[in-house]
Amino acid sequence: MKNILYKALAVLALSTTFTACSNDEETISGTGTLALEFDNSFNGNDLILETQTNTTASNEVLKITSIKYIISNIVLTKEDGTTYTYPKSESYFIVDEATAASHVIDLLNVPAANYTKVTFGVGVDKDQWSAGADGQGDFLATAQTAGMMWSWSAGYKFVAFEGTFTSSTVTTAVPFKVHTGQTGTDYNYTTVSLDLQTKALVRTTVTPQIHIITDLSKVLNSTNVIKLSDNNASGTGANIMGGTNLPLITQNVSTMFSVDHVHND
Amino acid sequence: MKNTIIISLLAFLSIQLVSATPIKDSISSFTFQKMQLAAAMDFDCDACGCSASGGSMGFSSMLNSNFVGIRYFNQSYSSRDGIFANSPWIDENFNTAQIWTKIPVTEKIQIAALIPYHFHNRELTTGTENISGLGDITVMATYSVYQTQKDSTVFTHNIQVGGGVKMPTGKFEEANNLGTVNQSFQLGTGSWDYLFLTEYMIKKKNLGLNSMLNYNIKTENSKKYQFGNQLNYGSTLFYLLDLKTVQLVPQIGIAGEVYESNKQHGEKVLNTAGDILFSKFGLEVGKDKFSVGINAMLPINQNLSSGNIEANYRWSVNLNYTL
Repeated sequence: MKNILYKALAVLALSTTFTACSNDEETISGTGTLALEFDNSFNGNDLILETQTNTTASNEVLKITSIKYIISNIVLTKEDGTTYTYPKSESYFIVDEATAASHVIDLLNVPAANYTKVTFGVGVDKDQWSAGADGQGDFLATAQTAGMMWSWSAGYKFVAFEGTFTSSTVTTAVPFKVHTGQTGTDYNYTTVSLDLQTKALVRTTVTPQIHIITDLSKVLNSTNVIKLSDNNASGTGANIMGGTNLPLITQNVSTMFSVDHVHND
Repeated sequence: MKNTIIISLLAFLSIQLVSATPIKDSISSFTFQKMQLAAAMDFDCDACGCSASGGSMGFSSMLNSNFVGIRYFNQSYSSRDGIFANSPWIDENFNTAQIWTKIPVTEKIQIAALIPYHFHNRELTTGTENISGLGDITVMATYSVYQTQKDSTVFTHNIQVGGGVKMPTGKFEEANNLGTVNQSFQLGTGSWDYLFLTEYMIKKKNLGLNSMLNYNIKTENSKKYQFGNQLNYGSTLFYLLDLKTVQLVPQIGIAGEVYESNKQHGEKVLNTAGDILFSKFGLEVGKDKFSVGINAMLPINQNLSSGNIEANYRWSVNLNYTL
């Protein structure tokens, strides 16, 4: 008798296991929030401003004092291949390592869906800039406050990367500044597309966070190799803010972002 | 519905327990014949369901098969708090005090229950974080499918199979899973989990080898988090030294755990799968109706959470009273 009872127990235990596998039918509707976190790093290490020594592949040693960049025109791709474009007028953000609150960009009122890809621009696209000062909305003032504009005619700084460096030929630390933006010949806006290994499940009750790592070692060493030492003609510092190096650095910038993981919390 | 079935099943089981007459061994409480269900108790360390929380610890009692006891165990881990090479490593201590019991229902069927109380802490860079409270209660039954008759052969064999259920009595706190540190820093999985186990014991005179294999199916909890299924295996060699007044049972063995990926909303959580192999050592001392055990486990080889979690050691002490 007891054996029968325990066999019954085993069968029941098994059956509950299998029924537990059945998926609840979920209707996806409404809107939610999606967070993009930009986590600055240098070749695998978390970035620490001022104090951390960062050695490039060209054996230049950088101390980074400031890194800011403009993230714009965010487009999210759903698992069915369709896209959602975040409203353009609200799609300009400045990520500033020194301001923790700027590391996470909250995208509000995003349609609930399963997203598999995020696409964004680095810098301000030419169409937007061509809209004139009045077309910039609040972002013009925001960029000016952050020091991310040269002047209205010269345009925005897309990436502002600053610090000091030494190398085999530059033994005493001197400042460096790498500022990307438009030049007379190149606009230097670039677009980045990142696939998500884990789908971002936007729901009214679920706020996914896409954790993006920005590897700043790639600004100088990626598709193209740029040495600060080669841009230190005066010996008082390396300033790369124009010329033929900017399109090369822009190519590098487009490779410096990667998705580490996605939380669906 | 699922839960109702299980609750009524458990209620039914407990009635069975009460009505069953325990079989007392009048000769000795410490015969090997009574060493059963060692593998079944290996779920006890499943502190939180959780990757890296210790499913293969166990040992149970090599001396007495039917007992009620209390056991304390400690698991020490180091976890990387962050995603970078220079992210800090933090120490995590999983402490558990549990009441455990094994009770025979018939000659071939035994029931075991584990009631854990956890008090865990970890040293985050922002300060120490503590959680404590009741853990997940496990109830299981095993059935002896094959057992050699006493004194009939040089070798005696005992094969058991069993199953059970782990109830979500421990609190699952979603906030503990934010960030990138050990996802197992929880009091419970928050889910109904199911256990299946097999155990094989071979003995010759005072020497025995106990091998076990068990599988733990974990389901999605109400927070849509699902810990990965877990395979535990192990083998323990033990020897009985009968000194008339006391019995000593030294033990040595290996134990392994394999974890599948955790899932959240059906999506795999990165870096949650893994495996680990331990060496284990123990000594059990029995006198009259009491036995005291002490055990330790040291990792031989591990790959937990893509190297972001390292198990340092586990140890336990227990006091059992033979029923």
